[in-house]
Amino acid sequence: MREAVHILDCQTGQLAEAEIFDEIGLEHFIETQATWRPLVLEAARGLAANPQQAMLIPRHFHWDWTRKEAELKLLAVKFFGISCAGQLQGIMKIDTVARSCRLPEQQGKPLVYIDYVETAPWNIKLLMEPIGKPQRYRGVGSRLFEAAVLQSEEEGFKGRLGLHSLPGSESFYIKECGMTPVGRDPHKQNLLWCEFTPEQARRYMAGE
Amino acid sequence: MKFNADRKWLERRAEQEDRHLISVGGLISSLDPNCEAEMNTVPKIESTKTAFVRLLQLARRERRLTLERLAEKADVDLAELLKIETDEAFTPSLRTVHQLAAFLDLPAKKLMVLAGLLRVKDPNLQQASVRFAARSEPIGSVSPEEHAALEEYVKFLNER
Repeated sequence: MREAVHILDCQTGQLAEAEIFDEIGLEHFIETQATWRPLVLEAARGLAANPQQAMLIPRHFHWDWTRKEAELKLLAVKFFGISCAGQLQGIMKIDTVARSCRLPEQQGKPLVYIDYVETAPWNIKLLMEPIGKPQRYRGVGSRLFEAAVLQSEEEGFKGRLGLHSLPGSESFYIKECGMTPVGRDPHKQNLLWCEFTPEQARRYMAGE
Repeated sequence: MKFNADRKWLERRAEQEDRHLISVGGLISSLDPNCEAEMNTVPKIESTKTAFVRLLQLARRERRLTLERLAEKADVDLAELLKIETDEAFTPSLRTVHQLAAFLDLPAKKLMVLAGLLRVKDPNLQQASVRFAARSEPIGSVSPEEHAALEEYVKFLNER
């Protein structure tokens, strides 16, 4: 699968041609390690130096994509990448069998589980601003999230999604995306389990 | 897949995204305000590092696990585990330390300090680490003295 999408170019304020694809290979993981990591570390050091900003340090800084290589062959697991200007701008991992719905009204129904989402550090405004670097593209994470909803529809799950939100991201998924916070999961570092019903997914896609 | 082609939709979503971090995924450690994240540039604190390696060796031997079996059970990379046990200058990844902490039922943050991934000023930890490292041997079966040292050190780590 390879689809043309637009994201926003921060420098020009114009739409930028990007591509979402699911043919992820080891080279993409290596790219994230080689090109993302140094900037991530720089941003982390800059943020850690300021106690008020230290709270901003995302907890996925040390997640190592190269370790996910083994999962490339699993049928239920799917990786999506988004590229623009010849560079990987974001990556996402979903699983179509690992989890099912927990909300009472859709308990036990299948969903697409978003296991991981990360955008390139230069696309994260909250990271780049404190270290005085320009943000390059906007909307990368939203495009990946959209891809997860579309995948759910393709699987026949009607847009049902689930994810464990990290503490710093809860307000994004609840307030901005409109997901329902179901509860803390003691089996997943007590992270908050959030879920999309088909109606919530529809509203997200429609921009309501 | 039919992606939304509406620019206004994209701009609204991008604006929302810019105000947050959108991370999804497992852990890792929450950074304690008392700890200074040093990432890959932590100067090695030898006593805690030695204690970290000995702690892993002893805990593994006490469970009668080979390196391969421990790697499998803790879901960590065997080559990295081997490097940890044979090269004290090697700094393990946070994920590996977290996985090992979970498997060995040890406090992850303390283990990260011992591994040199986080730095805290804690003379008691330094002293306890030196004491423990001096009382344990890297190979052979676990002697009663080593068992006692391991128990005492694990208790110390868990208590504080």
